[in-house]
Amino acid sequence: MIKLIEKIEGEAKLNFSFKDNKIDDVNVDFMSTRHIEDILKGKSPLDALVINPRVCGICGHAHLIATVRALEDCYDAIEISNKAKIIRELTLNFELIQNHFKWFYLTIFPLFGLKQNVMKAVTPSQLMAKAIALFGGQYPHTSYAIVGGVVCEITEMDIIKLQHYIDETIKFFENNVLDVDIQMFQNCDNVTKVMSQRGDLVEILKLIEINGWLDYGKSYDRFIVFGESSYFTKGKSIKTRVTNNLFLEDIKESEATTSFAKSVHYHGKYYEVGPLSRAMVKKTALIKDAHRKYADSIFTRILARVCEISQLLLHTELLIKELDISEPSYIKPKSDISSLNASGFSAVEAARGTLIHKVIIENSVIKSYEIITPTQWNLCGGVKDSKGVSQKAMIGLENIEIAELVFKSFDVCSVCTTH
Amino acid sequence: MKRKVRILWLGLMTCNGNAHSFLNYPYLEQFFSDFEFIYHPIIDSDYTLEDIISKEIFCDILLLEGAIGDDFIKADIPAVEIIKKYSNIATKIVTVGTCATFGGIFRESNYQNISGLHFKANERIYKFNDFFEKTISISGCPIHPETLVNTLYAIKKGIELNLDIYLRPKEYFAYTVHNGCTRNEYFEYKVDNHHFGELEGCMFYDHGCQGPFTHGSCNKILWNEINSKTRTGLPCLGCTEPSFPKQDLFNTKKNMGIPEYLPIGVPKRVYLTLAGITKAFTIDRLQKKLFND
Repeated sequence: MIKLIEKIEGEAKLNFSFKDNKIDDVNVDFMSTRHIEDILKGKSPLDALVINPRVCGICGHAHLIATVRALEDCYDAIEISNKAKIIRELTLNFELIQNHFKWFYLTIFPLFGLKQNVMKAVTPSQLMAKAIALFGGQYPHTSYAIVGGVVCEITEMDIIKLQHYIDETIKFFENNVLDVDIQMFQNCDNVTKVMSQRGDLVEILKLIEINGWLDYGKSYDRFIVFGESSYFTKGKSIKTRVTNNLFLEDIKESEATTSFAKSVHYHGKYYEVGPLSRAMVKKTALIKDAHRKYADSIFTRILARVCEISQLLLHTELLIKELDISEPSYIKPKSDISSLNASGFSAVEAARGTLIHKVIIENSVIKSYEIITPTQWNLCGGVKDSKGVSQKAMIGLENIEIAELVFKSFDVCSVCTTH
Repeated sequence: MKRKVRILWLGLMTCNGNAHSFLNYPYLEQFFSDFEFIYHPIIDSDYTLEDIISKEIFCDILLLEGAIGDDFIKADIPAVEIIKKYSNIATKIVTVGTCATFGGIFRESNYQNISGLHFKANERIYKFNDFFEKTISISGCPIHPETLVNTLYAIKKGIELNLDIYLRPKEYFAYTVHNGCTRNEYFEYKVDNHHFGELEGCMFYDHGCQGPFTHGSCNKILWNEINSKTRTGLPCLGCTEPSFPKQDLFNTKKNMGIPEYLPIGVPKRVYLTLAGITKAFTIDRLQKKLFND
């Protein structure tokens, strides 16, 4: 039975086969691609800063940051001011936050029989878009992070404005998502305490409980995080055992036979990426508690994503305090990037998980460009005896509606997947 | 009560950036009391994409987002067929974004005959000629939400919009991105020592800014209500134009030291004369940092 999954930044087709009234297998098919990697070939390296945000309308900023870091990695040494690094991290965090709000109110709400709440989605996401635009000039699709730093200069007045956007977003979170002081939520290490509160998050989590869905959505219980920041830690977690030594070169991408999306594995194994993975590797107390009780189910996955909103909002306030606006925003690289014959890698934590860019520059132009997106990790189909992460999470479920919920709990992005 | 205007938002070869930019419109609650989407790539609708494709659902306005290729398939159907079906049904068509208008970034993708609805870059194409008269183009990568929403209201009110040769409303596209840029004085007096990361300086002379020859209201109607690319220090990338994306976007192409592309309507001789005069003066205030001294 084939189900067209819509409104996931495009579409995907799930082809289910049933056995004994349970899903026995499911094939995930992303149906079109736009060949971004080919478009980049032969272009001036800096043009990738303009083209790559257009991979995706909802997480294009992560593609910008991944691009600038991959290009900077082509240098043996390049100086980037701490100020520029902090500004880049701030705007990337703002994008994650706007994404998570949109996913929660636009995608998750209707799956639980609640009306999609456009206004609750856009009120905080517009504030976060303003926060990005304050530095980047606009959102979506700015190219403000360039090789050597960022193009903007900021003033104390800008910081005051920024603080207002963040404070308003925190108020929104406390008034709608979870009716407690955000700092208390940050320190909470017990799911039961969260469940005794009020708010849209609790409403969703209770519905999972009431509907008897606590077991749904479990996959390999393997998580991986390659992107590092002042908040996220690199590492992998297998059945709660965390190790931090990871090597980008051990990531392999393989062509799928039916879908335009290529599958991705690390040392031959599939891993989940995204907020749940980040929380498991970082050992966030509340998510660890949920994981102890409900493993890698939709309960834990949804909680982890929403929890990341408040974590990032609070962390952002710390980052702003570290900003020294007297530092330069941009330091001109000693040599022009077009003069290099080199390759560069980057790994960035985007809203949906680890995003990897690889670039090779030769004779002043981009010789090749490779992008591995988070949704490829989570949603690409595996081969017959080794299922992909989302496939494994859907096998054994009773019906397609639940399977769609499990599928979308990973926060699917079709345009990113097939780029 | 009068019925709401029914809109079909159809995503083609796209990144969905226009759909997300639309979500940044500040008065969406009011918008939704006047308009409804029979389908939208993000917002819930009464019909599914499968309904849209398998049936003929009535709509007043067709919004197209993304480039069009002859062999581009949308949910198992050639996108061209879906476009034709709903172009016949709708009273007005709006191409939303530079891809749907001119082909944009994805003009270089590997499909056959990739273009916008009526233009392949600046070349007029006739594949959908029957619908030319009912089309309005809102270019931009992405569209500015206010430009799109106000155009939809103009359609609702039956206003005959004054359009340019690419069917773009002149109200928004007769201006250049240069108009209203906070760095204008550095342009006017040819202060050509711009460095990235500074409040001062103009990106036109060295860093590829296309503001003076790009049509758009970016510095008149600010982005996210607060800023613009050029104000923050990022060159205008010309994203509303048929030529988007040009090559080598962070460099100003020059011949004998003169920028290859000059402000719209300014002959080279006029430009050179003015440049010669302004270069003869040093304006101290514009050589210094804005806030220090």
